[in-house]
Amino acid sequence: MQKMLNEFTIGESGVVKAVGGEGKIKRRLFDMGITPGAEVLLRKKAPLGDPIEITIRGYELTLRKTEAQFVTMEVKK
Amino acid sequence: MKPVEIIIIIAAAAIVVGVIVAAIIRKKKGISSCDCGCGCAHCKGCGIKKPEEEKK
Amino acid sequence: MIRFALAGNPNCGKTTLFNSLTGSTAHVGNWPGVTVDKREGVYKKCAEPIQVIDLPGIYSLSPYTPEEVIARNYVLDEKPDCVINIVDATNLERNLYLSTQIMEIDVPMVIALNMMDAVEKQGDKIDAKALENKLGVPVVAISALKGAGLAELMEAAYKACKAGRSGKTVLENGALAHLITDVKIALSGQGVDNPLFHAVKLAEEDELEVKAHKDTVKMVEEFKETFKDDTFGDDFEALIADARYKYISENFSSVVTKKNKEKFASTKSDKADKVLTHKIWGIPIFLVVLFAIFHLTFSEDFLYLGKIFGFSSLEELGVDTEAFGGQLLACFYDGAVFSPGVIINNLWNNIIVEYAFGWLVNIIAESGMSVWAIGLLNDGIIEGLKAVLSFLPPILVLFLFFSILEDSGYMARIAFILDRMFRKFGLSGRAFLPMIMGFGCSVPAMINTRTLADDKERAATIRVIPFFSCGAKLPILTAVAGAIVAYFGVGNADLITYGMYLLGIVSAILAVLFMRNTTLKGETPPFIMELPAYHAPQFKNLMIHLWDKAKHFLKKAFTIIVASTIVIWVLMHFDFTWHFLEDEAVDKSILAQISMLFQPIFTPLGFGSQLNANGWVFVLAAVSGLIAKENVIATFGVLAAILGGVIEANAEGVGEVARMIDATGIGIPGLIAFIAFNMTTIPCFAAVGTAKAELMNNKSYHGTLIFWIVSSFIVAAAVYTIGSWWWTAFIWAVAIAITAYLVVLYNKRANAKLNDHE
Repeated sequence: MQKMLNEFTIGESGVVKAVGGEGKIKRRLFDMGITPGAEVLLRKKAPLGDPIEITIRGYELTLRKTEAQFVTMEVKK
Repeated sequence: MKPVEIIIIIAAAAIVVGVIVAAIIRKKKGISSCDCGCGCAHCKGCGIKKPEEEKK
Repeated sequence: MIRFALAGNPNCGKTTLFNSLTGSTAHVGNWPGVTVDKREGVYKKCAEPIQVIDLPGIYSLSPYTPEEVIARNYVLDEKPDCVINIVDATNLERNLYLSTQIMEIDVPMVIALNMMDAVEKQGDKIDAKALENKLGVPVVAISALKGAGLAELMEAAYKACKAGRSGKTVLENGALAHLITDVKIALSGQGVDNPLFHAVKLAEEDELEVKAHKDTVKMVEEFKETFKDDTFGDDFEALIADARYKYISENFSSVVTKKNKEKFASTKSDKADKVLTHKIWGIPIFLVVLFAIFHLTFSEDFLYLGKIFGFSSLEELGVDTEAFGGQLLACFYDGAVFSPGVIINNLWNNIIVEYAFGWLVNIIAESGMSVWAIGLLNDGIIEGLKAVLSFLPPILVLFLFFSILEDSGYMARIAFILDRMFRKFGLSGRAFLPMIMGFGCSVPAMINTRTLADDKERAATIRVIPFFSCGAKLPILTAVAGAIVAYFGVGNADLITYGMYLLGIVSAILAVLFMRNTTLKGETPPFIMELPAYHAPQFKNLMIHLWDKAKHFLKKAFTIIVASTIVIWVLMHFDFTWHFLEDEAVDKSILAQISMLFQPIFTPLGFGSQLNANGWVFVLAAVSGLIAKENVIATFGVLAAILGGVIEANAEGVGEVARMIDATGIGIPGLIAFIAFNMTTIPCFAAVGTAKAELMNNKSYHGTLIFWIVSSFIVAAAVYTIGSWWWTAFIWAVAIAITAYLVVLYNKRANAKLNDHE
């Protein structure tokens, strides 16, 4: 099943399918290792539900839902 | 005036002039922007000129 | 001299390595982006002395943040003899992404595999030799923290710099290999240095490269028309980033042997995060931490033990507080146990400063010199210095706590917790660090705004940083608040101090909101940030910070501030005909005359014309604060000595301010407005200079100066009028509402116009 990274719930994991968005944001996502094939686990959400914290390529990354909505994910069962 | 008092005048004037001159020299060298007085990391960093900014 | 540059991801241990190599004491923090400029030092233990340059931490050589541009230009233009690429072994994949980019530059390169001890502690293994064979550049395992492997690293780098190296790319078998090769040949034909690097960046259509090579970029565009990839279409930037990561994960999974095979294993940091960034408890915990810091620094009733158990004061116990033993005891206890910050403060002020300067003052007073000489030394220089030095302890203690927060990695979590709130004001959570640093000193805070990618966000942040009351403004706060309580016998000094901090924060928020909707409009910048692993702060590191801070403070006290007190004393003891004036005739002095000229401007703020003949002292103090905020209290010290009869000076500056109140007849609203004015007006010379350097263009800089003047008048006037006539609060509320409404209305119109044009 496919969905966007911002729709993930805590503890859910999946594989990055595609990354959209515009120049700066997209480049930043790539540089931080969010590229197709990378495995992602949504570790937690900030107190107000946003931003989110994910584990990717063995480290912790935080990003906002508005940035996460550019990342298409294949959900892992 | 006593000699001590003359020394005091000279010393006071020297401090004031010294601080002003030091500030001018720093400015000419281009390092005036960071006299943090803060003991921060960046004090050392900002002493170095930023060539890329100057080129612009 | 040979130059080695240190490059690597933020928070990978670069600065620690730099300190170990050069013996320098640069600031190290556990927050991505602590080094925001490059620093230099010398390594002496090699065949010849080597200059080591610490570059800002970067994730990539793309041109999106100022620090990426600094690092990239340094390596390309300054041509260091070798680049030491520090790679965090605990986070190999992402760190090697940068390595694959540096490899494309024609520069000798060595990879320093840092934090190998941490990897081994987890029970994992990394085969450095295998990594070296795969990458084709030397790899040395080190531990920057423990100083292991440093000699080997420098030896390898020295060898590499003698051998030279030409660029290599991991994209050579990819879909774009032909394009890159063709562009590279074209660029070398034009005599461009580092053709491979520029060719790859050009293929990515990197802004800077496209501008620099307008002709060659046509080759990329032509190629693009014939090219379609299944996943990425013609997005070459995506294709290249993806190819790099693919290369890394294909080649390096064999190099790492993990003990724990699970993909998303829980670490100690995760467990700590379960509590510290908890959905409900995260914000309360942050507030408690902030309160605890201020309590430990300022509270005169540690853990409220005195209130709870009802301890007796020293007087009730019959202790003689005039004798030395009693004085010493009074530093720790008086009806309540003092918090550590207060104890250190008392020991410093009541014992060390008091005795050292008291002794000096007596010698001078009895030396038989002329009145003016004794006056200059005792009332001018020593009073001024004493007033400033008395603030060394609270500044250092506060600074120590912020250093601990930063070192431990908690600061990054605070940004994570607060981002949602900051976004409402048009900033990202990242702007939190420079702002909280502002509580220490505005200068490093302003420099740190370089970690913000968006220019307008940077400008807005720089402008409000002084509102976060810095260490040098603390004396104004505590002295005036203390004097209000001592003189008028109302209120609570701590409450006034906290309240003023809060006022500064609220003003900052309102100002940011206003600017982000009017002059500095822009999209909310992205917030994509690494959360570093927690670790216990290092004692040595903390002490280095503190020592540096103390050194700078003392240096400033004995130079700029001594010089200003001398100038102020002289200008207060001579009239325009350069005749020496007795203390009583101070109102005829040059300084008094000039201050009186400006006094009416400050009438709406409560310390202008409504005061009596001595009212100019507040104007003078505020103006002297433009040089350095420590001067405000130093000036009060000098003025109090001149106006005569210091009222029982029991704590820092309180007596002096109380004397000012007595001499001028100022009211409480005026005093609080005076604090508010100093907090929000133009900061010290140093901060103004930094703002100028950081803002890049003059228009923005002049705007900033005007912003500070206007905002300080508005804030202080609001405080004064509301304090004097409570009902004016409604007028202010209505004014704010009307402004907000007009801004919204204007923005709507502007948007509508924009849409019409489209």
